[in-house]
Amino acid sequence: MNTDERESPRGAGPRRGGFDPIAMEVFSNRLMSITEDMNNTLVRSSFSTNIKERRDCSVALFDRRGRLVAQGTQIPLHLGSLDGGMQALIARIPVEAIAEGDAFICNDPYLANGTHLPDITVITPVFCNGRVEFFAANIGHHADVGGAVPGSIAGGARSIFEEGIRLPLTRICKAGRLDTELLELIGVNTRDPEERKLDLRVQIATNACGVKETHELIRQMGIDAVHAAVEDVIEYTRRRMRNRIARLQPGEYAFTEYLDDDGMGGEPVPIHARVRIENDQLEIDFTGSGAQARGAMNVPLNAVRACVYYSIKALLDPELWPNAGLFEAVRIHAPLGTIVNPKPPAAVGARSITCQKVCGAIFGAFRELLPPQQVMASGNDVVPAIVFSGELARRQGDYVYLETLGGGSGARYDADGMDAVHVHVTNTSNLPVEALENEYPLRVDEYALVEDSGGAGRHRGGLGIARQIRALVPNTIFSVRSDSHTVGVATGVFGGRDGRRARLIQNYGTAQAKTLFSKVARVELAPGDSMRIETPGGAGFGPPAERGLEAIARDLRDGRISREAAEADYGSERVSAALAS
Amino acid sequence: MYRIGIDVGGTFTDFTLLDEHDGQVVFHKVASTPADPSEAIASGIAELLRLHQLAPAQIAHIGHGTTVATNLVIERKGAFTGLLTTRGFRDVLEIGRQVRPHLYDYGHGKPPPLIAREHRIEVDERIDARGEVLHPLQDGALARAVLELKEAGVESVAICFLHAYRNPLHEQRARAAIERLFPQAYISVSSEVLPEFREFERLSTTALNAVVGPRMQTYLDRFLDRVRALGIAAEPFTIHSNGGLMSVRAVRAFPVRTCLSGPAAGVVGAAAIGRAVDFPSLVTFDVGGTSTDVSLVVAGAPLFSSLRSIADYPVKTPMVDIHVIGAGGGSIAAIDDAGALKVGPRSAGADPGPAAYARGGTQATITDAQIVLHRLNPVALLDGRLAVDEERARRALHDQVAAPLGLSLEEAAEGVIRIANANMGRAIRAVSTERGYDLSAFALFAYGGAGPLHAIDVAAECAIPAVIVPQEPGTMCARGMLLTDVSFDFVRSLIAIAEPASWVLAAELFAAMHAQALAWLERERVRESDRAFKYHIDARYEGQNFEVIVPLADGRAADLDRFLADFALVHEREYGYALQGKPVEIVNCRLQALGAVPKAPLTELSSGGSLASARHGQRRIYFGQRMGWVDTPVYLRPRLAAGTRIAGPAVIEEMSSTVALAPGRRADIDRIGNIIVQVASAER
Repeated sequence: MNTDERESPRGAGPRRGGFDPIAMEVFSNRLMSITEDMNNTLVRSSFSTNIKERRDCSVALFDRRGRLVAQGTQIPLHLGSLDGGMQALIARIPVEAIAEGDAFICNDPYLANGTHLPDITVITPVFCNGRVEFFAANIGHHADVGGAVPGSIAGGARSIFEEGIRLPLTRICKAGRLDTELLELIGVNTRDPEERKLDLRVQIATNACGVKETHELIRQMGIDAVHAAVEDVIEYTRRRMRNRIARLQPGEYAFTEYLDDDGMGGEPVPIHARVRIENDQLEIDFTGSGAQARGAMNVPLNAVRACVYYSIKALLDPELWPNAGLFEAVRIHAPLGTIVNPKPPAAVGARSITCQKVCGAIFGAFRELLPPQQVMASGNDVVPAIVFSGELARRQGDYVYLETLGGGSGARYDADGMDAVHVHVTNTSNLPVEALENEYPLRVDEYALVEDSGGAGRHRGGLGIARQIRALVPNTIFSVRSDSHTVGVATGVFGGRDGRRARLIQNYGTAQAKTLFSKVARVELAPGDSMRIETPGGAGFGPPAERGLEAIARDLRDGRISREAAEADYGSERVSAALAS
Repeated sequence: MYRIGIDVGGTFTDFTLLDEHDGQVVFHKVASTPADPSEAIASGIAELLRLHQLAPAQIAHIGHGTTVATNLVIERKGAFTGLLTTRGFRDVLEIGRQVRPHLYDYGHGKPPPLIAREHRIEVDERIDARGEVLHPLQDGALARAVLELKEAGVESVAICFLHAYRNPLHEQRARAAIERLFPQAYISVSSEVLPEFREFERLSTTALNAVVGPRMQTYLDRFLDRVRALGIAAEPFTIHSNGGLMSVRAVRAFPVRTCLSGPAAGVVGAAAIGRAVDFPSLVTFDVGGTSTDVSLVVAGAPLFSSLRSIADYPVKTPMVDIHVIGAGGGSIAAIDDAGALKVGPRSAGADPGPAAYARGGTQATITDAQIVLHRLNPVALLDGRLAVDEERARRALHDQVAAPLGLSLEEAAEGVIRIANANMGRAIRAVSTERGYDLSAFALFAYGGAGPLHAIDVAAECAIPAVIVPQEPGTMCARGMLLTDVSFDFVRSLIAIAEPASWVLAAELFAAMHAQALAWLERERVRESDRAFKYHIDARYEGQNFEVIVPLADGRAADLDRFLADFALVHEREYGYALQGKPVEIVNCRLQALGAVPKAPLTELSSGGSLASARHGQRRIYFGQRMGWVDTPVYLRPRLAAGTRIAGPAVIEEMSSTVALAPGRRADIDRIGNIIVQVASAER
């Protein structure tokens, strides 16, 4: 028997006004299966820790016009970043010039809308009856793409030329044949050519898997039905997005967050976001943000877009599907020559902390737009990266240990902020203390929540993290890229207090204790020397006077707040009452 | 003599009774008693004994699966617990891996800590990564810490020190101090519960063990009392997450190992049945009231994993790799504000349940859709014990789905089921591609009350060529209890590059675990001829942070080169490549001790009965828009003989489940009573 009609997501399904909710739901599951299959292939087969274990990669399917149809991502910073490479392809390559079996590669922020050089995109056309119908694409964060320092991210890089190999949109496969010479060229420009080449081959194979699955879907449904279902999926997302925008208060709202400096010890840098709601259109304007940084803390426009899409999804509708329907309702303006849209050849490698501030500014601007139930006070809004390097103790060779740390998240209408989490565009795991001590000649003295770091309020901000690490052998080198040590801060909302800033202390608790700035490079540690970083806490929500006595008492019993801080924030009378209750 | 398998679920407690003599199996079901789950166990056993006129002394074996530990965690009803840990690290329990649970939804927070910060006591002590004591534990400080917890009134204490997997000395001293100063406390020690490196997962597992320990003791006491009161002398066993049986004594010490108790039994049972009928590779598909469990069985054995979460708390013990999808019979169908029809993950569960059960449920569920289309019996289920109100199902579906979308009732019901099938199909594809398997080599093994109703369409959608429906699929987990062995898992971390020197150390760890395993087998009174041991090594290429599991022929006498070659093969299988010459790191050494238990033989069904004799009336069933309503004969499954072929349209009913066969489909009853449906691959 032939059950095709029943199995087909469209087939005999009912339709109403052109939109078929049942077929769309069935189809969207098939689409997600394609991206999940691609993602599984990429993660399973790659070698590098970045892609395989931290899952710093994403996959997507675009239609022939370059509209995003579906995306699978673990990293919010990738939302829409594949879109950049896709738009570069649409702009540069006439569709007739694309052959079946071609595959394109790119990473450059200025030539191919990349977000920084380590993120390499591969795009492969999907042909049906001799015509391009879709594109399969994926992006992976490569551990090293050459440049001045291992890892290719140097806060002090002066131009993109110091950050590694630049790839404009280039064919890496021509009519089914891999260009091994190009692959070799890319490989030799990086510090671990074998790993690069392996992962790039896996990226190409991942798209091949997407092409195969898409062909299978077209075979089952027929190309017309697939196109109709794609329209339904995008149209549904657009409608859902417009519904969310329609509930917002029309008008203009702005918010500013600050970076301590531009990464090179200069003046504080404002990140200014103005949100405008007009009809059912949303516009975000970054005019008023600081000039482009001298170092690598600049955010290319396409990474700004990712921050915007992430923020909107998180603020308005976490379950919203990432596709062109989400993008179309949002206009973004970032003036050229600013830290949020640098001119070439500005360096952009260390963009992630600035991205956190961009999200923080957008979240801030939305405070006045959203009902209080949906507002969140500012979180730690940074992503401090600490790096220890030196010689391995138990075998030949050098090590580089990099860790990005979380902090407190902002308090909400009905809940304290989360303690010790990554916020916004990142969400990467820590390295367990026992794994660290097995691997490197380092010892962890403490890994703890930072008392009193959460901003007071009816609901308290989440607590930051303290991590103190001691060098055990000579010639241990330490660097850090952090922020919100001196100027930037998590700001409270509706009367909630600010979170505590971060700090970095060498040899904490000794006579030689020394507080360092948020960005330091290449501090040499002697055996026994320690570095302690305390990351920022989140801010509070609502007046501290409204915090329940039970919550104050619990925080005091738990040591999340000290008696002194509690009395300063909540008043000694209420603290006494809390302790007596 | 007889053997009883029991699976305690949220709604029902299921029983399988096996006659050891002739292999005949009977199935039974009673309503669960959540306040004291042992009550339903006792009443069910009593009913079984009465119905089949058995004496308690004829019961030789009881195996049971329980969700008590899991429910204590989910409902946050565990014991008041304290922690002793290394100075500077009490917050590891809360920091965890420093990730937020949901990328976009900040309303989805971290779960509250299992142990409050004020009851996490740090003591001065430190052991390094090589297991050397850097800072000795002082008796006085230890005693003060124990007394502090005692005064706080905790019932249970977890102990977890850094690097205790390497050197358990300080943890052992802490245990001794608690036993001396605070003998009433339940004690859970990380180097006993999970002697593996990575402090957060070890701590979380140890804390969970402490939190569920005291209430689990109470439950086991009651359970034992009730079984004894019935006059049954047999020692009851509990199935653990790895699919093996554990004695009551072992469960008391390691209750956290029962967190997947029932579901694991179903998978192990499915694997046993699959092996018996030449379907060694299965996708198990267990559709219940609120969720669907999916797992893979490859070459006759379930795939295992060692990490999952219960209510967002990580637990790391060896367990069957089961993936849970938020789709089950009670999943609610609803239209969102942008006009999409969503099915699940919200569920009406067992309470209030589907609208048709008339227990207060008013929202349209998948079960209601099945009833509206008459794929489920629109009058009564469970051999008539559960009345069905078709009108309520029709009303809910009409008001909430059909009318707002402008669809006929049938189109709406069909749509709800298609969406549910699409959700399930996507999950099955994800589970297979994540591990790199091609579904065309698998059969879909459907159970749980609702599994068989979805299985044929889901298999067609996923290009799985065959569907297997075991007898009484609604009690499959209880049956699985009778198809498995006694087992216990031991683990030790090594963390060393695989080379001759470290290979000697690995052999020493295996020898030590083997001695432990022998002692355990003695205590469990397993005869020497029934004993077996399985050896595995978790290994990775140097520089990786995740391991693959490599089986060894014999841990004590294994050959390093053979291990390295096997590692490459396993790595290739799991990840698609192997790297020549790259150093391999041994992370954990594992030993599983097994004690063979006489199994329920899978009895041949008698053959030759006529199809007509199994016929039990007919009803009209809606088989999709093209075929519409079709007069469909109803067959009673217990009357179907081996070798019977049934052509659709047909519906096959039994106490706990239903199979609806569309026109053109065919089903065969195999020699041990499974229903086999071939789903031609051309349909995809």
